[in-house]
Amino acid sequence: MIRLTLPAASDAEAPYVARLNTGRGGVDEADAALVDEDAEGVTYLGRHGVLAIDGASATELDRDVVIVDPVGGRAERILRRGSGHNTLLVTERCDQLCLMCSQPPKKTHVDRFALFEQACLLAESDSLIGVSGGEPTLYKDDLLGMLERVLAERPDLEFHVLTNGQFFDDDDVARLRDERYTRVSWGIPIYAADAALHDRIVGKDGALSRLEKSMAVLARAGARIELRTVLVADNADALPRLARYVAKRLRFIEVWSIMQLENIGFARARWASLFVEHARDFGPIGDAIDYAALHGIRAQLFNFPRCTVPEPWRDLARASISDWKRRYADACAPCRERDACSGFFEWHPIQQAEDGVTPL
Amino acid sequence: MLLVGDAGDFALAERSMVERLCADALTDEDRDVLSREGLLIDDGDPLGRVAYAYGVAERIGHAGALDYLILVPTLRCNLSCSYCQVSRVAERSTGFDWNEATLAAVLRLIDGLETERVKIEFQGGEPTLRPDLIRAVIDRCERIPIRQFVICTNLQRIDDDVLALFDRPDVFISTSLDGDAATHARQRTGDGATTDAFLANLRFVLDRYGPTKVSALPTVDPARLPDMDGLIDSYAAHGIDGVFLRPINYQGFARKRHAEVRELDAAWRYYHSAFVRRLIERNWEDRSRVLEETYFSICLRRVFQPGADRHVDLRDPNPVGVDYVVVDHDGRVYPTDEARMLTRSGVIDLAIGDVFDGWEAEARDRLNAHATNRFDPTCMGCAYQPFCGRDLVDDLSRYGRIDLPRHETEFCRRHLAMFDLVFELIYSADPAVRYSLARWLRLPGTPTKFGVRLS
Repeated sequence: MIRLTLPAASDAEAPYVARLNTGRGGVDEADAALVDEDAEGVTYLGRHGVLAIDGASATELDRDVVIVDPVGGRAERILRRGSGHNTLLVTERCDQLCLMCSQPPKKTHVDRFALFEQACLLAESDSLIGVSGGEPTLYKDDLLGMLERVLAERPDLEFHVLTNGQFFDDDDVARLRDERYTRVSWGIPIYAADAALHDRIVGKDGALSRLEKSMAVLARAGARIELRTVLVADNADALPRLARYVAKRLRFIEVWSIMQLENIGFARARWASLFVEHARDFGPIGDAIDYAALHGIRAQLFNFPRCTVPEPWRDLARASISDWKRRYADACAPCRERDACSGFFEWHPIQQAEDGVTPL
Repeated sequence: MLLVGDAGDFALAERSMVERLCADALTDEDRDVLSREGLLIDDGDPLGRVAYAYGVAERIGHAGALDYLILVPTLRCNLSCSYCQVSRVAERSTGFDWNEATLAAVLRLIDGLETERVKIEFQGGEPTLRPDLIRAVIDRCERIPIRQFVICTNLQRIDDDVLALFDRPDVFISTSLDGDAATHARQRTGDGATTDAFLANLRFVLDRYGPTKVSALPTVDPARLPDMDGLIDSYAAHGIDGVFLRPINYQGFARKRHAEVRELDAAWRYYHSAFVRRLIERNWEDRSRVLEETYFSICLRRVFQPGADRHVDLRDPNPVGVDYVVVDHDGRVYPTDEARMLTRSGVIDLAIGDVFDGWEAEARDRLNAHATNRFDPTCMGCAYQPFCGRDLVDDLSRYGRIDLPRHETEFCRRHLAMFDLVFELIYSADPAVRYSLARWLRLPGTPTKFGVRLS
């Protein structure tokens, strides 16, 4: 597993952003340049003074963009070079409380938008940057402002924002029609077409109705939407009906991601009652995908190891798990489709993973 | 009864519900199920309203900038097919190839294209009689990032120059295979030796490139309909799974000779429908391959997947001379290949200009103002309107006018029959039907049903 936060020492007074640089190919003003490396770690020098990071090599960290927290004594690798899975966690607050939340919300909010903005401006060319939470649109103005300024400055960047879609309203249509938003896609969860069921899963009354209002706003703005549905015991049998709902009411989405559960956060404690063994009964999932495909809606499967998906639908299973939290079972060693496979979350129950695979 | 919305949503409803709808006496439950199917928008449902508007917009064909050229570098041909008297001249004729000025003008036209992709189809005559002209065009497209070239050839002769063209990954081969050897000889080649040469060349290109690069279509004589299994077998034997049945379109003088043309049209429709049903049976018997009739699949996909195909013969609106044009051997420009043949047969001059001086947009746009079924009084009362299209040139070729009541045109009769069949099959419970429909719609699995029944 790749570590995203490393112990670090710095004399700066406040958190700052730096791009770590071994010095090959020139050093920029925003860079912290390599001055020393030993078995413990790496030392850099930049405009905020000396920065010492432990537990990684200069090669590993080269061109990573980090947020240094001098008081906390750590450096967060916000944008790792060459990774397609960089994500900004802009808040830990949320207005929903989903049954299976992988990142349970906290009450407090630390505003780091200014640091994130600086980091994004240092991003590698042509990167896609994720934005997540908590619920990012609780701070909608800060969020949109950051996106707009970064996208104006950096025409090569794209963002993917995870949001529960509870806060868009009619006034946003004109703003979201701006050309820059063609480089933003919104990952929005929906769990069921039935309002009572959806609302129960997300722990908020009226959530589906409010989501519909936001969806209408986003559609009118021509926003790019990735619809997301996490599979849990509660909604598995309702998937075909959800597929009909999507094909009738949400035709404007780009893609529908059906996601297997991640064994972390709330889902860890409720694993036995939430996890659906799709390999045992793929029926409702296959029906839902077929119905969506029939109506020209592209569906894809996230976090479904390829060998656990029946052959007709297997090509829809993506290598979806972020590099830093992905692993394969020992039994996966001889598999020919490993590179195309999601594998498992680092924290997936180990025996369940070993027992569940059949190398292709 | 079949209910269809403007956005193409549909459901089968009991007559009693339709009666309540007409009497403005829907129950709350009626309203719920109709809203769920996208057939009714309730007040206070902004998403339903947006979804409806989006669905209607998806159905509207969009003709973008010119990016599809059908080029006729020569009218000469080394075959003399029975159904092709007007669109070819003898191989040794002179004055029927592009001259230098014509080639230069075509290349200028290519230089002026403003799109990221281009599709060029070489028609004839037999275009491979002039591989030099094909090569010049292909070379000139180098600057356009996405290119596709289709050479429509009778595959009678493949010399080194032609083979070098075929070998290019951006070149595709389209040919004619009219059925078994006897039919093919009767309609196209005239004798066994010429047929054998063609079949050997067809085998050669299929072995060399595989079936994804080579397509074939049969021209079927409605006055002499071929045995279905024989026709299917002739394609299956070559590993070609898609068959685009193309009837001889009796037009111009041929139309005058065939007074019984309307009966022939009816026989054709019946044959097409039986052909599709036969494919369904064969696909069910032999699950190892999926045979399909291409035009039926296009119509089927238009019901469920608007925008899935860019088929310029069936779209709405269907303006001519905008995103594609035909450049004839003499440099004259036509809106469609049909229009070119119609002009050659002397029925009506449908050229819109030439490649030297360009074409008159105003006359074209006057015609295109009518290139939609959307406001046609007959079409507005038709359940199939969202799925159907309009073909001005077909109307002109058959009737010399475009203002006949729609239901009196063969285009309408043909597509009514087509969509009747589509919906009959959509609501079929037969697993063999569902299996073929799912494959033709490119679905991973086979749904238990394709259409909703409201109770």
